[in-house]
Amino acid sequence: MTVRRTITTRRTFLASGAALGAIGLVPGGAGMVRAQEGRVLNLRLEGDNAILDPGYMIGGTEVEAQKQCLPFLAEYVRDGDTFSWQPTPYVTRLEYADDTHLEFELAEGLVWSGGNGTVSASDVAYSYARMKDSEWSGYFDALETVEVTGERTGVLVLNKPFAPFIMVTLCHGPGAIVCEKATEAVGGRFTTEFPAICGPYTYSQTPGQRAVFERNPEWTGPAPGFDRVVAHVITEVQAAELAYEAGEIDCTELGPDSLARYTETLPPNTAITTAGELQYLWMGMNTQHEKLQDIRVRRAIQHAVDVDSILAGAFAGTSPKSYGIVAPGLLGKRNETSYSYDPAYARQLMDEAGVTGLELTLRTLNWQERLLTAQIIQANLAAIGITVNILPMESGPFWEMGMEEAGDTWQDLQLWLMRFATVPDPYEATQWFVSEQVGIWNWERWTDEEYDRLYEEGLSENDPAKREEIYLRMQQIMEDTGAYVWISHDPEVYAHRADIEINAAPSGELDYHRFEPV
Amino acid sequence: MAFYFVKRLGLSALVVGTVLLVLFSLLHMIPGNPAILALGTRATPEAIAEYTARMRLDEPVWVQFVHFVSQALRGDLGADVFSNRPVTAVIGDRIGFSLALILTGMGWAVLLGVPLGCLAAVRPRSWVDRVTGILSVGTIAVPSFLVAIWSLLLFSLQLHWLPAIGAGEPGDLSDQLSHLILPAFAIGLGWVGYLARMVRASMLEVLGEPYIRSARAFGLPPRRIVGGYALRVAILPTITLIGMGFGGLISSAVFAEIIFARPGVGKMIFDAVSDRNFPLVQGGVLVATAFYILVVLVSDLVIAWLDPRVRSSL
Repeated sequence: MTVRRTITTRRTFLASGAALGAIGLVPGGAGMVRAQEGRVLNLRLEGDNAILDPGYMIGGTEVEAQKQCLPFLAEYVRDGDTFSWQPTPYVTRLEYADDTHLEFELAEGLVWSGGNGTVSASDVAYSYARMKDSEWSGYFDALETVEVTGERTGVLVLNKPFAPFIMVTLCHGPGAIVCEKATEAVGGRFTTEFPAICGPYTYSQTPGQRAVFERNPEWTGPAPGFDRVVAHVITEVQAAELAYEAGEIDCTELGPDSLARYTETLPPNTAITTAGELQYLWMGMNTQHEKLQDIRVRRAIQHAVDVDSILAGAFAGTSPKSYGIVAPGLLGKRNETSYSYDPAYARQLMDEAGVTGLELTLRTLNWQERLLTAQIIQANLAAIGITVNILPMESGPFWEMGMEEAGDTWQDLQLWLMRFATVPDPYEATQWFVSEQVGIWNWERWTDEEYDRLYEEGLSENDPAKREEIYLRMQQIMEDTGAYVWISHDPEVYAHRADIEINAAPSGELDYHRFEPV
Repeated sequence: MAFYFVKRLGLSALVVGTVLLVLFSLLHMIPGNPAILALGTRATPEAIAEYTARMRLDEPVWVQFVHFVSQALRGDLGADVFSNRPVTAVIGDRIGFSLALILTGMGWAVLLGVPLGCLAAVRPRSWVDRVTGILSVGTIAVPSFLVAIWSLLLFSLQLHWLPAIGAGEPGDLSDQLSHLILPAFAIGLGWVGYLARMVRASMLEVLGEPYIRSARAFGLPPRRIVGGYALRVAILPTITLIGMGFGGLISSAVFAEIIFARPGVGKMIFDAVSDRNFPLVQGGVLVATAFYILVVLVSDLVIAWLDPRVRSSL
């Protein structure tokens, strides 16, 4: 036998490199792979899914993964301009027996992967019991226990009437059901792999690159619209927009600038869908600060800020105007405020208060649109004789500046721009402003007994008309303190191929198995 | 040579230690509670307490530093704050992509820059020299992230010749190579100019040396004089520059990894800083520093091997 020695010379090395490069340039490699794979949906993933366990997840795309691989009892549904819920294919019945008893019956034939048996009511009981001790326990404060009444039937028992329970808890990530047997087998907690799945798709992840969802052969429910979903890790939204325009992904979230551009000229075969507008941005005022104690000064500021200019100048006209903390699509959303942009009246209020030469500090996160917002407010308030110094801040000190336990900054707090995200029920947004939140999240530092009482009433009231009345009144109380200038509800907007109908939760999480080719 | 190697190795360890110390200090000077920053503003007190204990944030900084170094010496860089995966595994998933990008970026820059520099030096003040000069300064002046964006807009969005994002299908070499072209082009372009200018300057100096004149007088072919004698000496400062250049490429790679959504250690560190995932930041910076020092060490050893004068001066 002759063994031939291979010698790598400079020339052969260069030739090999050139050949490999040429192979790489041959178009169609990836496309051919895709063509063989059936209907493939390419999406964006903001980052690696670090914790898939509903009890300890970070949220966002981890909820998206759970929705594909784990059972839920209820799911969001858009009803015109509002959000509602419906039972998922995992249940044949989900209904209130009374204010505190929610009965469910699981569908037949649901099996966990890996030979872990069928999905049972005891899995529901196990899942929600562990959630009460988890980092997301707040979502289960109203749950007393889960009574198992049969192999597939049970009752969720609430410790008090809690109207938003289905919308806020069962439809969202914390409502995911895990397999008791498989979860216990991995020590009761898991991170980047599901111990067992039961859903339309299987899940695999290549860290830093992608998460892949393949059709689950054991799934007996409705077939998903796509055979394979590839979610590419693209951390920056601008990079994702470029990838969308290059045709490499089929759907991406849009930032405000791109939304304005797309609204003007839509790329070919593109449609835009707004998932929800569950964020509220406002300018807050510290009612206890000596410079802002006089309500006439606070009201003057309310009348001096031109919110329409802010929406046009800082948000390119893409964010809807806010009239309170309850977001569009939710019960209790306001359509007007009791103040309006009126600099002349604002000056009159300042004169009545006898305040001249007022100098205030406006703190904001150092984000582009916030700084633009701050600059417009600075110009608006200068027109009524108030000098505003803008203090851009990094997220660390910003998020604790109003907390009493984090130092003394709360005493110097005067004006700030704040945005909170909320859930598809008005109770969540109102909870941060009750009296016991002063010094925690109520940085405006006012208290009102009626507000506190209405908050409790809103939780237990099931009549939508009465609930709406409650939340409208609560926002009016907030506004009457003079401590708020409502600005915007930033939308979660997606650009996607026009021949795909997408499905997203109001808070923006995509539900891949409910995407449909049109 | 062995003494030189040991001396450089000791110095390298000192540099790594200093970098880690500075990094540790900087991380702990960031304002705000790291637990709240990492877990979010609505994290429960129990979660914050658990995180604080797990990350040893309640201990003095120097104790944390000593603990980290002692663990690192055993090959344990800690665990990802969120997924609890070992930092070494997280880095292991990405380091191959970073190395491929950096080596390809510098590789094509060397393959083009060195011959261009030689050509310009052999024909000084010719049109070739002038064009090379303009191109070199032009490529040096344009930041790599701009090259990345422009090339992406042109070759991916407009012409659809090359993919825009990712690192390619796992196991598909041609797909992975096609995903490597634009990022490597973006980070390497500036280095073509640097290397061409450096080689030109060195070559001009060496070509005026008496031994080159002697070689010409003996009638040796010009290609042999340039490639065999002049370049061998003129390349020495360029090797140092290439070694240093890897440090710059680690930074440039971060932009390329973000813009082209490629996995890599640079992007991992960037994301980890945003998420206050301190173990990943520390592990990533340690690996990046070690890589840089290793490259500089290798370039110094290559120079010592090529130039006997350097060895004799050790």
